[in-house]
Amino acid sequence: MRDNTKCFKFGSCFLADPDNRQLMSLLYNRAILHLDLDAFFVAVECLKNDSLRGKPLIVGGTSDRGVVAACSYEARRFGVHSAMPMKMALRLCPDALVLRGDMDSYSRYSHLVTEIIADQAPVFEKASIDEFYLDLTGMDRYFGCMQWSGELRERIMKESGLPISFGLSVNKLVSKVGTGEVKPNGTIAVPSGTEKGFLAPLSTNKIPGIGKETYKKLSFMGVRTVKVLSEIPMGLLQREFGKHGQELWRKANAIDDAAVVPYEEQKSMSSERTFQQDTLEVGKVRDLLRGMTERLAFDLRKANKLTSCVTVKIRYADFNTYTMQRRIAYTATDGPLQETALDLFDRLYQRRQLLRLIGIKFSGLVQGHYQIDLFNDTLEEIHLMQAMDRIRNRFGHQAVMRASGLG
Amino acid sequence: MKFTVSSAELLKKLQLVSGAIGNNPVLPILEDFLFTISGPKLTITASDLDISINTSLEISADQDGEVAIPARILLDTLKGLPEQPVTFQVDPDNYSVEITSIFGKYKLAGENGADFPDTPTPDGVDEIRISGMELHHMISHTIFATGNDEMRLAMMGVYFLIEPDTLTFVATDAHKLVRYKLSHSGQDSSASMILTKKSLNLLKGTINDTDDVVINYNKSNAFFSTPEIQMSARLIDARYPDYNAVIPTNNPNTLTVSRKDFLNSVKRISLYANKTTNQILLTISNGSLTISSQDIDFSNEATEQLTCSFEGEPMTIGFNAKYLMEMLNVIQSDEVKIELSSPHRAGILLPAEPAEGEDILMLVMPVMLGN
Repeated sequence: MRDNTKCFKFGSCFLADPDNRQLMSLLYNRAILHLDLDAFFVAVECLKNDSLRGKPLIVGGTSDRGVVAACSYEARRFGVHSAMPMKMALRLCPDALVLRGDMDSYSRYSHLVTEIIADQAPVFEKASIDEFYLDLTGMDRYFGCMQWSGELRERIMKESGLPISFGLSVNKLVSKVGTGEVKPNGTIAVPSGTEKGFLAPLSTNKIPGIGKETYKKLSFMGVRTVKVLSEIPMGLLQREFGKHGQELWRKANAIDDAAVVPYEEQKSMSSERTFQQDTLEVGKVRDLLRGMTERLAFDLRKANKLTSCVTVKIRYADFNTYTMQRRIAYTATDGPLQETALDLFDRLYQRRQLLRLIGIKFSGLVQGHYQIDLFNDTLEEIHLMQAMDRIRNRFGHQAVMRASGLG
Repeated sequence: MKFTVSSAELLKKLQLVSGAIGNNPVLPILEDFLFTISGPKLTITASDLDISINTSLEISADQDGEVAIPARILLDTLKGLPEQPVTFQVDPDNYSVEITSIFGKYKLAGENGADFPDTPTPDGVDEIRISGMELHHMISHTIFATGNDEMRLAMMGVYFLIEPDTLTFVATDAHKLVRYKLSHSGQDSSASMILTKKSLNLLKGTINDTDDVVINYNKSNAFFSTPEIQMSARLIDARYPDYNAVIPTNNPNTLTVSRKDFLNSVKRISLYANKTTNQILLTISNGSLTISSQDIDFSNEATEQLTCSFEGEPMTIGFNAKYLMEMLNVIQSDEVKIELSSPHRAGILLPAEPAEGEDILMLVMPVMLGN
């Protein structure tokens, strides 16, 4: 969550004091729209193959360790939900069709929707691949927010063919909860002044930010609805939940002054791999890491970016997770990135225990091309890398790679 | 011990040597100036263990001796005084220093001068005499190309090669390289050393164009002396990379362009490039040079076209604009020649009309453009 003492910028007036009366009135008169594509991955699959419509459908990993990335509403009826282990999902709904999923086409459709929104909206934030926040404050005077939003939704559905729901209210929190309530294929407006009443009867786990643990703890305390939560004094919540308690209270009282932050450049790139079976074979893990780094470095070059920070993550079989990062000179070439990644891995892997997962992340990204080094790079290496990139651009990631990364 | 000296003259001398004092010295006494008096001569020394500079001036003193005086407070005191004689009175027991001006007295705690680390003295027989102007040129043409990477220690300094007929300075940070050769006779032996950036910067600030500089050296130190100062500088003990091997020799494409026009163009275009990477594109074809850049994050874009003369295959090559500007800034001829072979090999900048006795070669590595 955003620190609520931060400065907010509204048009020409810039206020640093959150208690300022003018600012508060501006906050309460905000109009925030939350758009969410319904069962996005599944909807895209249905679009590509019409015969899948109306069937219980699950998109996700098919291996033993796979998890559900998305599922159709037909499958949800059986109790399947996303982030559930695939094994369990199939036990609940044995007849479900399982698809591997195709990230490329999902991001293509997501991009299509983003373009429509960018075309229409004054300020928008792409919160995830299928979720958007729009700040419509002040638009009421000219269009009527609800009518405008409805027209935007119609246009998205007509042009992309994907079902989408929205919630319109005074802040991000209430809008998002509203969308969740009317899904699928619904719209809702929670006008200013009614937002507290709207949240009151709902179960506490409907509030974003209240996860499994907090929900459990609240239930033990006998707090099941948002209404009860909102009536607890903030001090008490703070005692029970620490810093998080204050946030809980604010959320329960429908207070959220987070701003809609316009779409930002990608800040990092990462890749993770969970092993089929926990492993002790360090040699193989290192090879895998080498391969993952090579692939991610290709993505980096394809996006015309350079990285200045490499992070390696490992998770042991007991779910203890460790990460280590190192700053490096801006680069996008395989050699130094692999060297750094492997060195970080060797420093991280200290306990002689089974490994469950490894991951690699590049951050501190900047647009640009790799500055060739006079002494460390040879023309042959550069030509080799460029030739490999050309092949990958044409035939895909898997077309060519260094044997050392095969694992 | 007591001596009197003109405040302005002392300040001038202190400022000549104060550059040697480091920010966080290992020994507290290195935050001090060492004052050594012998007869009518006061010698002031500043040091950071790697570099020591001393200078001297005439004073009237009642006896010989030495004391270390905190540099910062002394400099600031003198800066705050109008020109006048000031008297220093040093207590030989506890090294406290009392300064008397016409306005009043200032007392500060000095330290025993004997605790000040010894400075190395020239012991080699080899000696090179070079004019201040020539040395100034050599330094300013090369020093900007040195690196900052502590993993590559050698490149943090400037390589100094002494041969019977030439003196050569080389600096590189692996992305750009400058080789400055000067015809110079008088030295009979060959030698090479790596000088630190700090020592050359200090030297550049203290030498005048008209005075000669005498350079001495041994295995671990170089010594520079001018009528004003004597400086000893520890050399970087590392192997300098083989720079000759990486200078491409076969560069069939040659571009000649006005230095000023090119520099101004690059300056303007670089405003529109990404602020971190500063990358610009040169598209070169017969008779025209197109310079362009873009910053996707801010939707900035710029293009300019220059007339030039070009022989060879048309090509597009990307460079860091900062490197080009640094080089174009120090070159003095009206036109520059840029020699290229391919988009992934070094570009070489040369002054179109080199000055007498000088041989300057500047090399800049391109960026790896996508397919």
